[in-house]
Amino acid sequence: MKQTLMGNDAIAWGLIHANVDMISGYPGTPSSEILSEVQKIKHKLNLDIYAEWGTNEKVGFEVAYAGAIAGRRTCATMKQVGLNVASDALMSAAYIGNLGGMLLIAADDPGFHSSQTEQDSRVFAKFARIPVLDPATPQDAYDLTKYGVELSEKFQIPVMLRPVMRVCHAREIIEMDDETNFKPNKGEFKRDVPRWGAVPRVGRFAQGVEQLNRMEVIKEYNWDHLLKKEFDKCEGKNRVLIITSGTGYGFAKETLSDLNLEADVVKVLMPYPLPVEQMRDRFKSYDKVLVVEEPYPCVEEQIASPNVYGKNTNSIHNIDEMSKEEILKAFVNIGLYEGENIYATPPSLDFEVETRPPALCPGCPHRDVYYAITKVFKKKKAIYPSDIGCYTLAIAQGAIDSILCMGASVSMASGFALSDPDKTVVATIGDGTFFHSGIAPLINAVYQNHKFILVILDNSTIAMTGRQTTPSRENKNIDIKKIVEGMGIECMEHHYSYEMQDNVDFFREVKKIHADATGPTVVVVREFCILDGERAPEFIPNIFAKVDPELCIACDQCTTVYKCPPMAYNEDGVIEIDPFLCAGCGGCLDVVCPTDAFVQDFDYLKRGN
Amino acid sequence: MKYQIVIAGFGGQGVVFLVKVLAICAGNRNIAFLGTENHGMSQRGGSVSCDIKIGDFTNPVIDKNQADLMIALEKNEGLRNLAFLKLSGTLVTNAKDKDKYPELPFKGFAKIDAFKKAENGEFPIQGLNVYMLGFALVNDKNFPFSVQEVKDAITQINTKVAEQNIVILEQAMRDAKESK
Ligand code: SF4
Ligand code: SF4
Repeated sequence: MKQTLMGNDAIAWGLIHANVDMISGYPGTPSSEILSEVQKIKHKLNLDIYAEWGTNEKVGFEVAYAGAIAGRRTCATMKQVGLNVASDALMSAAYIGNLGGMLLIAADDPGFHSSQTEQDSRVFAKFARIPVLDPATPQDAYDLTKYGVELSEKFQIPVMLRPVMRVCHAREIIEMDDETNFKPNKGEFKRDVPRWGAVPRVGRFAQGVEQLNRMEVIKEYNWDHLLKKEFDKCEGKNRVLIITSGTGYGFAKETLSDLNLEADVVKVLMPYPLPVEQMRDRFKSYDKVLVVEEPYPCVEEQIASPNVYGKNTNSIHNIDEMSKEEILKAFVNIGLYEGENIYATPPSLDFEVETRPPALCPGCPHRDVYYAITKVFKKKKAIYPSDIGCYTLAIAQGAIDSILCMGASVSMASGFALSDPDKTVVATIGDGTFFHSGIAPLINAVYQNHKFILVILDNSTIAMTGRQTTPSRENKNIDIKKIVEGMGIECMEHHYSYEMQDNVDFFREVKKIHADATGPTVVVVREFCILDGERAPEFIPNIFAKVDPELCIACDQCTTVYKCPPMAYNEDGVIEIDPFLCAGCGGCLDVVCPTDAFVQDFDYLKRGN
Repeated sequence: MKYQIVIAGFGGQGVVFLVKVLAICAGNRNIAFLGTENHGMSQRGGSVSCDIKIGDFTNPVIDKNQADLMIALEKNEGLRNLAFLKLSGTLVTNAKDKDKYPELPFKGFAKIDAFKKAENGEFPIQGLNVYMLGFALVNDKNFPFSVQEVKDAITQINTKVAEQNIVILEQAMRDAKESK
């Protein structure tokens, strides 16, 4: 059956067509739509599937892994940096193995589109010694999802699927199974303490040896079932062989055809473990072998030989995502191409356009809270550590000094408080991130009496990745305030107000309380996400803004410190509000402008809205 | 057929919706295509651009100097992405009348102040994306799909708002013909 699908949707269908009946993980771009799509299909077709978000990736992985130990077919989804969080569990699981199939999906983000790092999960698979599959297109993603589950069951080891952003968020027509005959498995845990109980050393040594042997077997399997036929297709008449993994295939093929060049191209579907000897044997018929993969030299390092070129020989770009222009340059470097760069920008078009830096949504309460924080805790005397989520975008407001990884705002607040005690440390973290990994460092801070302010921005959604619900909103109401109180400290509470003065007054109060505190001062600000269709309408006052051009003195206050996207200078040099973008939150009417140039726009509704 | 289209705008303008419309047009005619979205960290209000390559392609990204058509939902977002358009291509853009527009070397060029029309209540501003699609349908003589195919795709995506969207599409086409 043909279907037009995005890569992540294709993976979701692949899981269902492979009878995977337990899926858990943690949202993270570009992986998030996989689990949400499974949830949609589950409800539409009324399937008996467990598909739920974990509180973090490690939890998500462990839930899925236990399912696979008990013989069910399972999957854990996350993005590459999420795999770092789950890696502790992965490393042990890779020794111990599983009975039912378990697919670990780690979506990579070459090009840093929405991540702090460009790290390559294929290398992580190699580190953990589990097989990894690298799809080039949404069609591959569907096929390899099914294949990966089968492989995992066959070899009793978690198998990783590693799609990149250009697979997850690419769209094409896909050929998939005609019918969905979903058959959930029944789990049955069989006690086997020597296997499932990971205590050192004797048992682990044996499993370590098994792991090494298993990789040898899978190498052969990779050659017999996947790679050999790819090499056999090559006619060997060309001087150059291109070895590709994932998206490298599509980019290399297109560049060759755009430039009218001939070269053999081999597509590696399983970049680890590689049958290196057999591959090197085939390299002998070529002058040069070029490896095209992203983002790290994973295949290249395994097959290294004198005539292999790639990132380690500086023949192809070493950072940033794939593009045909980079492949063209690599062709030039290895002497395959001598012509002009057909992907160069015509010089007449090389002009600068005003940037649209990432910013919080119009109407987002985070903006007002950050504005109030920086008004009360002045920059010179404060340090603002923050965390990963939508609120990270407040970096544009100058309200954030450091971002490291999920949960680090709290532990870094401890570190800053200890190392620079003359400043007030005001850390911010969202509710999703607090649940994910902010609780443990807060316990540490209470435990050791570190003095800082922690502001938990509770909008009850994982907003950045598409508004998945947080633990506080499902089943039981898990209240952050009570969690904090459970640590034996008071938790101040504030309900966000679109009248800025209320927010400022609240933080003045926080400042006072904190002055006398010996340990951490924790506050939770109850907010909402403007894109949350369920809750936002209750909170948005529908007060739209415009600017009185007579009053605007072009002081930059609103565009540098407050930064709501609809605000921009017009041709006359005064601020104008883009009516397309204004969310009607009324936040800018109070405090923000020194001359009170923002006024309510009563005509707004008449403009067809 | 090989036809590459860049759609540029900012978050909240419905860029991805247009990609879906074009994808469905291709799918309905059983032409292969590959599309991709590019929005990084931006939420509402940040730059968004999407690529769709219709025909026999193997990667979803449009490289510089390759696109046949760019539909820009906002002036600066169009200018930002110009490098992807080839000189024989067409740029269709929404830009304010009073804005200065640079001299451009492309074969096809058409602009309209769609914001002003929306502000005057000629169509609801949420329909700006469909409006610009209609404008492109008239101004790009090589546009790969017929008006009917586009209407069918719009209906397929969401029947509830299809009627209103088709009214907007038709109005844009009339405006485009008049402004020629
Ligand atoms: S998605 Fe929600 S939380 Fe994120 S910036 Fe927009 S309004 Fe704020
Ligand atoms: S009312 Fe002001 S702060 Fe709120 S969305 Fe509109 S411009 Fe932004």
